Amino acid sequence: MIESLLLWVIGIITAPFFSAVILKVKAFFGGKKGPPIFINYYTLMKLLQKGSVYSTSTTFIFKLGPVISLGAALTALMFLPIFGHRPIFSFEGDIIFVLYLLGLGRFFTIAAAMDTASPFEGMGAAREAFFPIICEATMFMILILFYKLTGHLSLVNYFEGSHPVYLWDMAGTSMVFIVIALFIVLLTENSRVPVDDPATHLELTMIHEVMVLDHSGPDLAFIELGSFTKLFFYSTMISSLILPFQREGIFSPYSLLLGFLAIIVVYGCVGIMESIVARYKMDKVQKFILTSFALAFFATVITMEFIK
Amino acid sequence: MLYSVDTVLSFALLASLFALGSSRLPGLIKIVGFQGIVVSMVPIFIEHNITSSAVTFYMFTMTIRGIIIPLAIYLLIKKIAIRREVQPIIGYHASLFAGLMLIVASSIINHKLALPATTNSVLLMPTAITILVTGMFILMARRNAIAMVLGYLMMENGIYLVGTTFSMGTHHIVEFGILLDVLAGVMIMAIMLENMKQKFDDVDTAFLSELKE
Amino acid sequence: MSLFFISLLIIASGGVLSPFFKHNFTTMKFIAVSTMIVGSIGGIIDSGSKLMSQSATINSCDYTASLTYLKSFTLSFQLDSLSAFFLVIIFAISLMASFYSFHYMDKPERSLGTAVNYLFFSLLVASMCLVVTASNMIAFMISWEMMSLSSFFLVIYNYKSKENRRAGYLYFIFSHVGAMFILSAFGVLYALTGDFDLSHSFASAVSPISNALANLSENQKVLIFILAFIGFGSKAGIFPFHVWLPHAHPAASSHISAVMSGVMIKTGIYGIIRIYSLLNFSSPVMGANQLIIGNSQFIGHIVIVAGVISGILGVVYALGQNDMKRLLAYSSMENIGIILIALGIGMIGVSSGNTAMVIIGFSGGFLHILNHSIFKSLLFMGAGVVLHKTGSRSIDALGGLIKNMRITGTTFLIGSLAISGLPPFNGFVSEFFIYMGGFKGVGMTAITVNDASVAGFAVNQFAMSRLTFGTTAFGIVSLAVIGGLALACFTKVVGVVFQGEPRTRAAEGVNEKGVAMLVPMVVFALLCLAIGVFPELPVLMSMNAISSLNISNIGTESGGASVIEITTKMIGMAGTISGAALLFISMILSVLLLRNFAYKNKPVTTSGTWGCGFTKPTVKMQYTGTSYAASIVEFFRPFAPIHEDHSPVKGRMAGRSHYQSHVNDIAELYMDRVTLKPVLFLFDKLHWIQHGDIHLYIGYILLAIVVAMFFV
Repeated sequence: MIESLLLWVIGIITAPFFSAVILKVKAFFGGKKGPPIFINYYTLMKLLQKGSVYSTSTTFIFKLGPVISLGAALTALMFLPIFGHRPIFSFEGDIIFVLYLLGLGRFFTIAAAMDTASPFEGMGAAREAFFPIICEATMFMILILFYKLTGHLSLVNYFEGSHPVYLWDMAGTSMVFIVIALFIVLLTENSRVPVDDPATHLELTMIHEVMVLDHSGPDLAFIELGSFTKLFFYSTMISSLILPFQREGIFSPYSLLLGFLAIIVVYGCVGIMESIVARYKMDKVQKFILTSFALAFFATVITMEFIK
Repeated sequence: MLYSVDTVLSFALLASLFALGSSRLPGLIKIVGFQGIVVSMVPIFIEHNITSSAVTFYMFTMTIRGIIIPLAIYLLIKKIAIRREVQPIIGYHASLFAGLMLIVASSIINHKLALPATTNSVLLMPTAITILVTGMFILMARRNAIAMVLGYLMMENGIYLVGTTFSMGTHHIVEFGILLDVLAGVMIMAIMLENMKQKFDDVDTAFLSELKE
Repeated sequence: MSLFFISLLIIASGGVLSPFFKHNFTTMKFIAVSTMIVGSIGGIIDSGSKLMSQSATINSCDYTASLTYLKSFTLSFQLDSLSAFFLVIIFAISLMASFYSFHYMDKPERSLGTAVNYLFFSLLVASMCLVVTASNMIAFMISWEMMSLSSFFLVIYNYKSKENRRAGYLYFIFSHVGAMFILSAFGVLYALTGDFDLSHSFASAVSPISNALANLSENQKVLIFILAFIGFGSKAGIFPFHVWLPHAHPAASSHISAVMSGVMIKTGIYGIIRIYSLLNFSSPVMGANQLIIGNSQFIGHIVIVAGVISGILGVVYALGQNDMKRLLAYSSMENIGIILIALGIGMIGVSSGNTAMVIIGFSGGFLHILNHSIFKSLLFMGAGVVLHKTGSRSIDALGGLIKNMRITGTTFLIGSLAISGLPPFNGFVSEFFIYMGGFKGVGMTAITVNDASVAGFAVNQFAMSRLTFGTTAFGIVSLAVIGGLALACFTKVVGVVFQGEPRTRAAEGVNEKGVAMLVPMVVFALLCLAIGVFPELPVLMSMNAISSLNISNIGTESGGASVIEITTKMIGMAGTISGAALLFISMILSVLLLRNFAYKNKPVTTSGTWGCGFTKPTVKMQYTGTSYAASIVEFFRPFAPIHEDHSPVKGRMAGRSHYQSHVNDIAELYMDRVTLKPVLFLFDKLHWIQHGDIHLYIGYILLAIVVAMFFV
């Protein structure tokens, strides 16, 4: 229990670090030196020391938005096995709770954006409302497959200890597709290239960044921390699939190191993706995300062929 | 039970799914070429006694299927096609969903047919049917003549897989015959396309209706 | 006479009295509202105590009342736990709605109209109560017609508007075509069994009726069920029988919309459940004579597919609406879809002997019935306040209302969160259970049979388990998609109507006076949160409700988990949800604390919204609801064609132009094309019969009599 709590804290603390890995990878591909690896901590510290400017159009929902999206991400992380270790809480069906919790965070991010009466933020909000719908379908398709394989509906049974190995054993090829589908979901839910470009300069083309334009100071810091945590959440999920930690319940420096390595691989992939792929046109994004659903569906169908 | 051939086959299936979602001709050609390579690799994974002549044969089919024909078409579009879109009659999202449904349908058909298991693979027959039907679907749902040729090639991939299911070992001659037919067919289509391009300045098959009386 | 009938009498008497006090507006309202409240409280006490005294395994009917009229037919009423569950909802929502109406109906110049409105409101409530307690077909049909008619008069309350008259007319036609289907289902049932009885508990093993019911063949049962499903579906708003719904709800006054959407359409669901349990599909599957898969196995699948279609299309059409109340009406259709998915999961559980699916599916559905009635009434009331204060239902004309209408805005926000199924609100709880039931179906494997003589059975079982997998997986994924779309739909409403800046004059300088309107909304909002955090009691309620479905014997016979086991498990699940919700709330509170700490001694200033470099933004530049929803609706284009109308630009200096767009409902579109046109065509062809010559008409009558003689 103490270890789980410790891991949860480590996860939150290291999440900004991992996000900086993406920046470093991008800088490497661009032949640049890139920002320091602790850039995100500096940003968070800077933001936390500042005050805020609020738009006259906003209401309490605007202030509630960052709090709830951060709270949802932090709570969600409590249910996820980090580095294959048992999470703080788990119950049958917790994954549904977690997915809907992230949905709640999204609701408030959108509501906070709509609160500013800015046309750009409204545009971003409309996209933020649209794309994750398909992601949710993908996630539930993946859940259906996992449930069929394990008979359980909880993150522990998929990602803890040797459970990922069991998944690979039961449905080898399908898992490749599942990992790709999850990666697409990661890119969409966290607004990365090619769905959204966090580094773009044009508000018209942004999704997530434009929605937080009016937030400032500690509020913005909360949003940033929330999105780092969310990215960490999805990356951890994928990393335990691509590099299953076989040791059951043992908390060793070895597994910690391995876990870090696996997560850096995932973040590195995001960085590589951002370096070599341009962001898609908005109407192509739908197709991109639909691909993830098609992959998950496909994986389920061919796995059903194997299970007699 | 999981066999290594099923892994290969699932990639062939995936390729047909992507073919339905792809909107540009060069992408579609790459996908069909990839599928051709994967499909020609399948017998290597199934057969138990691999002779050197068989390997030569597989390499040969792989070259024709995966490299020569796609390359020929690629050069062709460089030469004639101005429009690189596949000009869908049925939209990409709908096609993608149709593809998923086709996979489910062919898996059901496979259960209904209850063919004797000639090989130790679960996916072989559903994959074959799906690829065949998907090829036909592309023929039906795309107006661009080159996309139609690619659909035709995809059908051939499916037929090849069906052949693999039925007769192990002795099918080489038949297969090779079919392949040569396809090669000839593609060449004829290339000539036809070039004429069409001269006549209509486009390869949209909708123009062909002008040729009726 | 029991408390239940006394309550009904009080409610009805208030309605009947109110036209006599039309000269004193406030007194009239006071009488009508107070009788309704007193009656409803009595009803809640009665039915609630009946419901909670049940236990999930024992099914006892409480009391029956019957009276025979002219010795020709009997009207009988009976209250079992299923009825009690619906009664609690009906009384609770009506109580709140009438309370709300006290300040909502504030046009003394329409005193008589208001009085008549109260009369029909009370009749509607009374007849709904009779519908859910009726235990024979005649009593049921009479109450059903009373309900349809009184709600029809409520729909045409504003009869002066042509649109409203049309809405009422449409509703009238749909409810009567629906009633015709129900009547034909009853007719078939009567023809086959020779009895009018509807109540399940009567059909115990000894009575002859149950034998007659048991002797029905599979196909007869399926026929009856499908007829009833269509009939009740037209009341519940199942696609494609929902066409009246988006017209009638905006036409009625808001508290009536709340009642109609919150409870009246649920009587359709009640009818479906009642017929389902009456037909006793729950016969055990594993018997020796059941090796062939009958058509009744497919009922659950049909219901799920109907639910998915209604659910997804409902929410897509809702997204496309610009009229707030129309949007809510379509969202009711979506929630009916969710309820049907849940019931379908339960029905599949019944036909495959999976107790967990039965209990979790059905009680999840029942819980959603309860939850939906709460948050949908809340949302309709919120829309009512907005309409009342701004005079506009158009979403794109409003904006920024939450600043002046804090209570309405906040409660509407809570309702929106709840209807999107987000934790820690009540919508999440019911959707969670529906998911759990669905996943039980996904995980179901074929029962292995070693007996060689039933090899075909094994194959069938395998095919059935595959089908179940497919259908439930479809249901689950659709539920996820519906959830996402509902989120988009309600962020649109909240974001455009209540947030941002006022888009037109109408939305400026509003207030929210009228305590009676605010209290019910606050109560409902608190209920949404309370059920979301402490769901044990409502879960218990819904589990008690299904005890009268006679499905308690399933699991024990097929070797599955017993009912008690599942029941305990469900209470446990409710406990974990409660824990998780509390965890989340405490997390939010601590983050809030952190935020307060971070803002200590920090300068906080206000300024205009950042216009991305543009310095003169106007309110017209805000994103509208239509553009917010456009890309999503576009994605579903084949099912939701967007109709656009604008004049082309002519010349260099374009003159005044206009643009309008609306999302078409394909059911409405095709109702015109497929049903109306052919019927009109047919009648056009028969036009020659009508000559206008009276002698010819007499000839027709003569002919008809002669022909009839041959048959009699």
